[in-house]
Amino acid sequence: MRTLLQNNLVWLFFAGTVALSFTTDAYSQYLMNLVLVYVVIGQGLNLILGFAGMFAFAHGAFMGIGAYVSALLTAKLGVSLLVAMPAAGVAAAIVGALIGFPALRVSGLYLAMVTLGFSEIVQWGIKHWKSVTGGPDGVSVPAPVLFGHRFYGDYPTFYIVVVVALAMTLLAQAIIRSKLGRAFVAIRDSEIAAQCSGIKVARTKVLAFAISAFYAGIGGSLFSLTQSYITPENFGFYQTTLHFCIVIVGGAASLAGPIIGSIILTWLPEVLRNAQALQEIGYGLMLILFVIFAPRGIAGFLIDKGILPRERFSLRRPSLPGRSRPAPQEG
Amino acid sequence: MSSLLTVENVTVQFGGLVAVDKVSLTIAEGEIRGLIGPNGAGKTTLFNAISGLAPTRSGRMIFAGADVTALGAPDRAARGIRRTFQTVQLVQSMTVFENLLLGLHSRADNPLAALFVGHAVNARGATDPMATITRVLDYLDLAPRVDHLVSTLSIAEQRYVEIGQALVASPRLLMLDEPTAGLSPAQVARLDDLIARLPADWNVSIVLVEHVIPLVVKLCHRITVLDRGRVIAEGTGEQIENDPAVQEAYLGERLNA
Amino acid sequence: MEIATLLSVGLSNGCLYGLVGLGLVLVYSSQGIPNFAHGELFMAGAFLAYTAIVLLGLPYFLSFLIAVVGIGLMGMLLEWLAIRPISLHRSLGRASSEVAIVLATVGLAIVLKGLARIPWGDSVRNLPTAFTTQTVTIGGVAIATQRLLIVAVTLVLTVAISVFFARAPLGKKMRATAQNPTGAKLIGIHTSNIYSATWALAAACGAIAGVLAAPLIFLHPDMGTRMLLKGFAAACLGGFGSVTGVLLGGVLMGVVEIFAGRYIATSMMDIFAPIIIILVLLFWPQGLFGARRAARV
Repeated sequence: MRTLLQNNLVWLFFAGTVALSFTTDAYSQYLMNLVLVYVVIGQGLNLILGFAGMFAFAHGAFMGIGAYVSALLTAKLGVSLLVAMPAAGVAAAIVGALIGFPALRVSGLYLAMVTLGFSEIVQWGIKHWKSVTGGPDGVSVPAPVLFGHRFYGDYPTFYIVVVVALAMTLLAQAIIRSKLGRAFVAIRDSEIAAQCSGIKVARTKVLAFAISAFYAGIGGSLFSLTQSYITPENFGFYQTTLHFCIVIVGGAASLAGPIIGSIILTWLPEVLRNAQALQEIGYGLMLILFVIFAPRGIAGFLIDKGILPRERFSLRRPSLPGRSRPAPQEG
Repeated sequence: MSSLLTVENVTVQFGGLVAVDKVSLTIAEGEIRGLIGPNGAGKTTLFNAISGLAPTRSGRMIFAGADVTALGAPDRAARGIRRTFQTVQLVQSMTVFENLLLGLHSRADNPLAALFVGHAVNARGATDPMATITRVLDYLDLAPRVDHLVSTLSIAEQRYVEIGQALVASPRLLMLDEPTAGLSPAQVARLDDLIARLPADWNVSIVLVEHVIPLVVKLCHRITVLDRGRVIAEGTGEQIENDPAVQEAYLGERLNA
Repeated sequence: MEIATLLSVGLSNGCLYGLVGLGLVLVYSSQGIPNFAHGELFMAGAFLAYTAIVLLGLPYFLSFLIAVVGIGLMGMLLEWLAIRPISLHRSLGRASSEVAIVLATVGLAIVLKGLARIPWGDSVRNLPTAFTTQTVTIGGVAIATQRLLIVAVTLVLTVAISVFFARAPLGKKMRATAQNPTGAKLIGIHTSNIYSATWALAAACGAIAGVLAAPLIFLHPDMGTRMLLKGFAAACLGGFGSVTGVLLGGVLMGVVEIFAGRYIATSMMDIFAPIIIILVLLFWPQGLFGARRAARV
C-alpha cells in the first residue's frame, strides 16, 4: 500500500489539484493554474537539462514562441485552441531543433551562450515585429471555445491546463522509460560510450532540443490562457532563470522534481509580496544554495530518503527466477 | 578461419602527432587477438579508430565483408563492433538491467517509433531482446544484481556489466580495453576464464588490450605488438616473447621510465 | 564628419565591450566557466561610483578607485561564497559540476540584480561628471572627453595586463594555473588563491568598464545582461584567448554595431551582440586571434 502510494505520488498531485479546485478562491485557482503551466515547462527543461545534460538557456523564448503562436492564431485567425496549442508546440519545437544544431558544434558552456543569444533574438523579434505581434504592447488572449463551451476565467481554464499538464507529464514518463530517454541519459554521462552502444548522438541531441522546446511551446500556450494579455517582457532572461530554479530546486532528472519546483516557485513570490527585487534575491539564493548543498534538488533528497521511488528507465522489468548459469548454446 | 576485420594501412594523426602509423592487421572469426605495447604505443587509439571514434587520416577498414571506413561509431556498433573502456563507462544512476538495455540501442533505428513501443522492436525477426538479456545475465552471473544500481556494484561487477552491455547486441567483434585493470588476482583469473569462453559461446572475435603479458600469452591465439604507432611484431605468444624487437621496445620503456 | 564621429563613438563603446569581455575571458581561462554574473559586476561598478560621486560627493577619480577596488573585492568574495564550494565537489563528475557552477553564476547574477533594485530600481539614473558635456575637437571632429578617457584607460590597461601576465610573478602563476591546475598545485602554487586573484582582476575589469560607461549611459539594475552579451561577443570575436584579441574584438564589435545602427536600423544595435555570438561560435570558432577554442587558454 505504502509503495503503491509512493509510486503514484506524481499522479496523486494531479488528483489533488482537481480536488482542491473545488475549494479555492479565484486567485488561488489562478496560482494553481500557473503551477500546472510550470509543471509542463519544467518537465520539458528537465528532459534536456536533467536527463540529457545539456544547457539550453532559451526556454523563456520557446515559451514565448508558443504563447504568441497560440494567442495570435486564436485571436487573429479564429483558429480553435485544439489546433492552435499543438501548433504552438510544433512551432517551438522547430525553432528548438534549429537551436539544437549548434549543440552539435559547440560544447556545454558555449551552448549556454549561444542559446542565451538566440533567446535574446527571439525576444527582440517579438518586440519589433509590431504588425503581427503588437510589439511591446503585447496581444490580448481570447478565452478559448472548445466543444461549444467558452472557457472564460480561472476555473474553466483550470480544466484545460490540468488535462494538458497531466498528458505532458505522462508523455515525459513514457520518454524517459523508452530507449530515447535512456539515450539521453547515456549521452549525458558519456557521449563516447553512448556512440559505441550505437546511439546517434547528433540526432538524439537535436531531438532532445525539439522535444524540450515542444514542452515549452505547449507551456507557453497554456500560460497565455492564464493571462488576459501577453507581452514580450514575459519571456525574457528572468523567465528562463525561473525555469532553471524550478528544475534545480525541485530536482533534476526526476519526474517529481519539476512538480515540486513549480509548487515552491509559484507560491514563493506570494510570500515575497510580489516585489521583484525580493523575488530575484530569493530565486538566486535558492539556485546557489541548491547547486552547492543539494544538487539533486528536493526530489533527490526524497529519493535518497526512500520517500519517492527512484526514476526508472524501462517499461518492463525482466522476470528472472534465481537460476544458476546454464551452459549457453550458440550465439 | 575466415577474416572478420581487416585493417589496411590505417593512420591516425592528432595535429603533428602520428598516434597510429600505417597499421595493418587482420582478425579472424572466433579469434582472440592480443594487442600489447609500451605506454603510448597507440593501442587505445587503434581501438578508437576501429570503433569509429578516432578519425583516420588514411587507410581502410573492412568488417564482415563491407568497407566501414566512412562509418561513424554508432553505425559500426550497429554492425557488431562493440567495445569496453579502460575506465568503466556505464550509466551509474541506472540499474544493471537498464544499462543492458542501452546496449540494445541499435536494434530499432527510429527513436521516435521506439518511444511508443518502449522497447526496441525487432524487425528482423531475430531473438526476443528480453531473452537475450536474460541469457547474458545468467551467463555473467549478474542475475541477482539485475535491479541494482550500477553505482552500488564493485569494479569487477561493473566490468561484467560492461561486457554484458556489448554481448546483448550479439556483436561480431568485441574489443576489451584493459579489462583486468583494478581487479584482484582471483577476479582476474575468473575474467580470464570468461574471455577464453566468449568466442565459442557467443560466436564473437575478441581483441584484448592488456598490460599483463603472461595473461595475454595464455589467452590469445595471436598477439600484435605496437610501438610508437607501428606494428613491430605479430605472432603466437611464444614467437612474440622471443622477438628481439619486442624485447627492445619493452626494455627501452623500462630504461626510460 | 559624421563617419568620424560614429567611429569615435564605436571605438570607445568597443573599448568598453573589450573590457567586459576581458573579465569573462580571465575567468573562463582559469576555471573554464562563463561567468553569467559578469554583467552585474559591470552594473555594480557603475552604481558604486554613482553612490560615491552623487551621494557622498567624492571626486570622480577617487570614486573610480573605490568602485574598482570595491568590486574587485566583491568578485573575490563571490567566488569564495558561490563557486569554490562547488569546485570542491568536482567528485560529482565534471559535466554536472560544470552545470552547477554555471547555474551558480546565474544565481549570483539575479541576486545582484535584485539587491541593486532595492535602492536603485525605481528610476533610471544618470551619472554627471565634469567630463560628460566637455568635448575635444580633433581634426574638426568633436569628441566627448569621456570617450577619450575610455580609450586611454583601455589602452593603458591592455598594456598593463599584458605586462602583468608576461612578467609579474602572480601573472605567471595565474597563467600556469590556467594551463594546468594539477601541475600548478604540484609546484606549490595555491590554486585557490589564484582563483581569488583571477576573480578580483576580472571583476575589477568589469567595474572599470562600468565606471567609464556610467556618465554616457542611463544606469539601471537591468543594464548588466545586455553588457554581458556584448562582452561575450567581444570575447568570441577575439577568440577567447589573448588580452589584445578580446579588446580588438570589442572594438570591432563596437564600430560595426554603431554603423549598423546608423545605416540599417537603430533597433539592430540591441541584437547585434547575440547575432555575433552565434555566428562566430558556429562558423568561425577561432575568432580573430584564438588558437583552438576547445582548449582552455
